[in-house]
Amino acid sequence: MIAVLQALADGLMIGGVYGVIAVGLSLVFGVLGIVNFAQAEFMMLGMYVAWFAWRYLGLDPLVGAALSFVAVFCLGALVQRLLIQRIMKAPPVAQIFLTVGLLIVLENSALLLFGPEFRTVKTAYQTRALMIGPIFVSVSYLSAFVAAVIVSGGLWLVLTRTWIGRAIRATAQNPMAATLFGVDTRWIYAVAFGLGTGLSALGGGIVLSYSSVSPTSGSQYVVLMFTVVVLGGLGSVMGALVGGVIVGMIQSLSTLVMPIQLQNLALFTIFIALLAFRPQGLLGSPSR
Amino acid sequence: MAALATLAASNAWSAEPVKIGILVPLSGPTAQFGNNIRNGVELALEDMKETGGLKALGADVELVYADVPAPNAAAAATQRLISQDGVVGIIGSFVSSITLAASEVTERAGVPMMTHSFADQITSRGYKFIFQVANKASLFGEKQLTYALDIAKRAGSPVSKIAILYEDTAYGTAQAKGLRDTANRLGIQIVVDESYPLNLTDASPLVNKLRASGADLVFPVSYFNDAILIIRTMRQQNLDIPTVGGAAGYIIPDFKKGLGDLVEGVYSIAPANYDALPAIAEKYKKKYGAFMPHEALMYGAAFQHMVKAIEVAQSRDPEKIRDAIAALRKCDGFSAGLPGGCTAFDANGLTSVAFPVFVQWRGDDIVTVYPPEVAKAPAYWRGKEVK
Amino acid sequence: MMRSLLIIAAVACVALLLGAVLQPRGYAVRVVCLILLAASLGQCWNIVGGLANQVSLGHAAFFGIGAYTSTMLQIKFGLSPWAGLPIGMLFAALVSVLLSIPTMRLKGPYFSLATLAFGEACRIVATAATGLTGGPQGVSVPFAGNSWLLLQFRGAGAYVPVFVGLFVVVCVAFTLLANGRLGYMLRAIRENEDAAEVTGINTLGVRLAGGAISAALTAATGTMFAQFTFFIDPDIVFSATSISIRAALIAILGGVGTLAGPIVGALVIVPLEELLSAYLSNKAAGIAPLIFGLILIGIVVWRPSGLVSLVTQRRGRT
Repeated sequence: MIAVLQALADGLMIGGVYGVIAVGLSLVFGVLGIVNFAQAEFMMLGMYVAWFAWRYLGLDPLVGAALSFVAVFCLGALVQRLLIQRIMKAPPVAQIFLTVGLLIVLENSALLLFGPEFRTVKTAYQTRALMIGPIFVSVSYLSAFVAAVIVSGGLWLVLTRTWIGRAIRATAQNPMAATLFGVDTRWIYAVAFGLGTGLSALGGGIVLSYSSVSPTSGSQYVVLMFTVVVLGGLGSVMGALVGGVIVGMIQSLSTLVMPIQLQNLALFTIFIALLAFRPQGLLGSPSR
Repeated sequence: MAALATLAASNAWSAEPVKIGILVPLSGPTAQFGNNIRNGVELALEDMKETGGLKALGADVELVYADVPAPNAAAAATQRLISQDGVVGIIGSFVSSITLAASEVTERAGVPMMTHSFADQITSRGYKFIFQVANKASLFGEKQLTYALDIAKRAGSPVSKIAILYEDTAYGTAQAKGLRDTANRLGIQIVVDESYPLNLTDASPLVNKLRASGADLVFPVSYFNDAILIIRTMRQQNLDIPTVGGAAGYIIPDFKKGLGDLVEGVYSIAPANYDALPAIAEKYKKKYGAFMPHEALMYGAAFQHMVKAIEVAQSRDPEKIRDAIAALRKCDGFSAGLPGGCTAFDANGLTSVAFPVFVQWRGDDIVTVYPPEVAKAPAYWRGKEVK
Repeated sequence: MMRSLLIIAAVACVALLLGAVLQPRGYAVRVVCLILLAASLGQCWNIVGGLANQVSLGHAAFFGIGAYTSTMLQIKFGLSPWAGLPIGMLFAALVSVLLSIPTMRLKGPYFSLATLAFGEACRIVATAATGLTGGPQGVSVPFAGNSWLLLQFRGAGAYVPVFVGLFVVVCVAFTLLANGRLGYMLRAIRENEDAAEVTGINTLGVRLAGGAISAALTAATGTMFAQFTFFIDPDIVFSATSISIRAALIAILGGVGTLAGPIVGALVIVPLEELLSAYLSNKAAGIAPLIFGLILIGIVVWRPSGLVSLVTQRRGRT
């Protein structure tokens, strides 16, 4: 019983973090309709920004994650204007192609700029855990989870309460109609892509607080991120968070009954089976 | 006199440099190790030039690199080195699967290749042209256990239950098999025997199992990212079980940089350690800013062995060089830094001298602590010196 | 149709000629072999990705099944890969049919990502099922020197006729499908599934058949690959990036749904990778793949519907 509770607690917290790194991917798909294979590379860049902020400014990675967001937001918006905008109307396969090219470029730019070393931060809370009854709660996971909840709440406020948020949602639903109401959709696309990649970068800063970064860190998360957003429903922001928690739970609960080696097999099997019954994901709507 | 000088000069000009292929991952997930190998081989070449080792060769040595981030690229890159660049031998590739794929090409082309990859199959296929300067992974697993048991016994805290946590790669599974077989043979109880997917995103399930098991000793076999997740999560749950790493992520400078004081006292098995070669290690540190990792040392030694063999063979014929590599016993330069003090090979091409060593973290350094004949300092067990 | 067959015959003749004149144990002929394998792989993908517009990102599953089936049968039972080849193809076709049970209703990115997950699931199974596959340590094809019976040769040159054979089979299959009834129906489904259903097309059966053919041919390519590199492990043959996504890239770069697409794609991607690796490996680490990525981006921004569109568009104008 204790083992189950422990697995639930671990799964919930790591799942919240998965949700944040994946929510940007969902946003990019929801607004631009693009499946971005390079999303995890933006996360990796965010991890580097947070690392440098820790090393040279002495910022905790959870705080430095804000800088990751700002830096990668700008980069993402620029990438959208220069590259993604050109293939907005191209067939989906061309879009996949472009983002795979982007993935290769970002990974190897990081290798050239930062070298192949692994980098990690040291914080005081990293090796602490709280005892809640018989359950260990890792302080770094807990703070990552809290940060994830705050970020999701903030995103929800931005999307529902601000003009730009409403414009983004309008563009996602119907770009033509949005244009008629005076929204410059091309600008909205750049903002949405920047926001989406920036959020993944922010999630990267959160992940760095307990993990490490190297130029290939993105590849560790790319399939996981897709699983999260597809389970939740591509394009659904709430769905990404729900998907994240589900993935975290499956990963940690599966280890109670089967070898840890097979945790992702359990995940992918449930993933494919769920899709068979709900082809649009759990919270996805039938159109897009 | 002048005529003689001109003759010598023209002679040097006419001698085309001898080319040696360096086939390593310089990009991709194991790029760090490939780049360390590049550093090690370049230092080994410099070292030979300084000590006059290239004079007898009568020509310069040129290094030709091929970047192989994944095994799929290995065969074509190997063939290119051989038939386009005309290398007479190949050094590489750290990752066992890349070495295995490349050696299929070198064997058929009849060109010698030297490696320090651990995989057991490398020298058990009956191939003639592949040489392995390190021991097999299964032996690393065996020694990882027997060395630890001996130190624990001498420290007065015998071990009856052990835990094995390993990544499900060629390296992890082969080494774990060595550990498992040895434990079964010695009647040691294995309370956790778990493999996990490479590049773990969360180590809690592993550590939860470890905590519940009551193991006296834990053997994690993993690369860097997994290593730090495991060690940090263990510390969170106040598990201070003595930890014996399985080389790779546990014996690189980044391990200390990432974990700080947590690494103090962590053991690891290692194919070699830089403290056996203080002068060269000092040079490496000065040049590259970190201690010389074992892969730089091992590949440096393999490279020097090959160059020496070319000199002995007095030929650029790969077949003759292969024979010279097999016959040569080299005990100076980088080779002196290997446990056993030499590079030499048995009939299968496997090292006939080397044995794994035990290292322990002390401050910013790793120190060889076992076996006694090569130890540089006494081992510490739970903070106490082991006599 | 005639024109397509002529293209195939012309490419096959050039490849055979190169195989005959190039140094049989050299590097250039190995590149020719790699191009043939890449073109075949891209064409297999093109059967579902191009004709039915089902963008699969899990073809490594079938590639790996083919590579492992023939290799394990050879190691365990001494069976020649010529016999293992059809068994692997059959097995892959069966798996493809089973896979379509949960995925047939999926559309667009959902289909792509489900197949991506399936490929990864196969990699995990191959890694964990040590008894069946040898596990993560990988397996070597037993050394036999030169042997037609065991489909292995010392030099790459002898493989050229074999790979040309594979290439021709895959390309002819694509052409027949594209021009035949099945291709017509696949395209009808691509344009409008509901309408196709109304006109009496058995959409399910058509998809199953297309998928099974594509899977079987991918498995054949996998067997050939194993016999060519002699060493396979789960990360190599079930790789999402270097098999699944690469297969799609080859076809997309050239032009999805066209016969010439994967051929052009392979002719660009393989030599480009080799040239970059040959000339830039001595330089700073990462520069070669970086330039490769930049060129990919450049091509897709310049020609979003593939390089083949350069020719077809021009012809369209005149």
